[in-house]
Amino acid sequence: MLNPWVLIGLLFLITYGSRVIGIEFMAGRKMSPTLRLYFSYVPIAVISALIVKQVLIPVDGELTISLPVLIGGFFTAVANLLTKRFLPSVLIGIIIGLAVRYFLI
Amino acid sequence: MAAAKETIKTAFIEALPLAVAIFAYGLSYGVLAAQAELGIAVIVLMSILVFSGSVQMVVVAMLTVGASLASILFTAVLLNLRNLLYGAALAEGILPAKKWRWLLAYGVTDETFVLGIARYKVYGPDPLYFGVITATFYIAWVLSGLMGTLIGNQVDPQKWGLDLAFPLTFIALLLPGLNTSPAIATAFTAIAIGIGLEYLMPGNELTIIIAGVLAPLAGLYVRGRSKDA
Repeated sequence: MLNPWVLIGLLFLITYGSRVIGIEFMAGRKMSPTLRLYFSYVPIAVISALIVKQVLIPVDGELTISLPVLIGGFFTAVANLLTKRFLPSVLIGIIIGLAVRYFLI
Repeated sequence: MAAAKETIKTAFIEALPLAVAIFAYGLSYGVLAAQAELGIAVIVLMSILVFSGSVQMVVVAMLTVGASLASILFTAVLLNLRNLLYGAALAEGILPAKKWRWLLAYGVTDETFVLGIARYKVYGPDPLYFGVITATFYIAWVLSGLMGTLIGNQVDPQKWGLDLAFPLTFIALLLPGLNTSPAIATAFTAIAIGIGLEYLMPGNELTIIIAGVLAPLAGLYVRGRSKDA
């Protein structure tokens, strides 16, 4: 059995290090307009990829589609486009996703 | 002072849905870590110092199958690669905090990145906002890990749909930003890369960083073409 205190200490160093390096690397640097534009698209790319990973779930090495997330997400998107309100859109999606989980699966 | 109060209130309200999801995830972590017989002090200290759901869950899973220290640390490095990208993108929004940025850096995660960038795009650098959402998530994460350890398997986050809060919050945050052709091209490229990589290597840990690095190039390309046209 590994020494858990040593493990936690090393995990802390790795995780905090990864968090601070990106910030410090960019600290005080003047970004070119293209780089600034690039970084303005990074969040869109990352969030899109995060959503894909939540919809496509690996089960025993095979990919499966999470219908509660997919259908709930669709209704969150529709509600968001119609109402432009963040919290109600998420709540509507969760309620519909839960309904899918209990009635369709 | 009034502006600071308003920022704190807004940050807390906007962090709440994700904090609920983090709480649910933290419960799962606590339950699994307790089952792995890690001990309450180790479980809670890991949450306090590491503050990373993906890293902690994977570490617990690897410990239960007797993985070596080297393989656990290597996996942790892979899981944390995306933080480099997050930090670089968040830097401008955090730098006004001066030396406090070393503390704020502790809060660089998927969730704080998503909310922090959304705020930065509309209001510019706002370290206070970032600090409040980080504190909200941190408290939710540490407390839920402790609760999960204490109550064991008595709560099922899936039953209450708490697991759905993550992806649906991300969708609600993403959509308002998809208002230009380059943004839409970036999103579709990231989705295509994500599906492709997940299809080839289900559950791999590089999808987010690869999509995060490559898909914005599609946005730049589309923007370049539209300027030329």
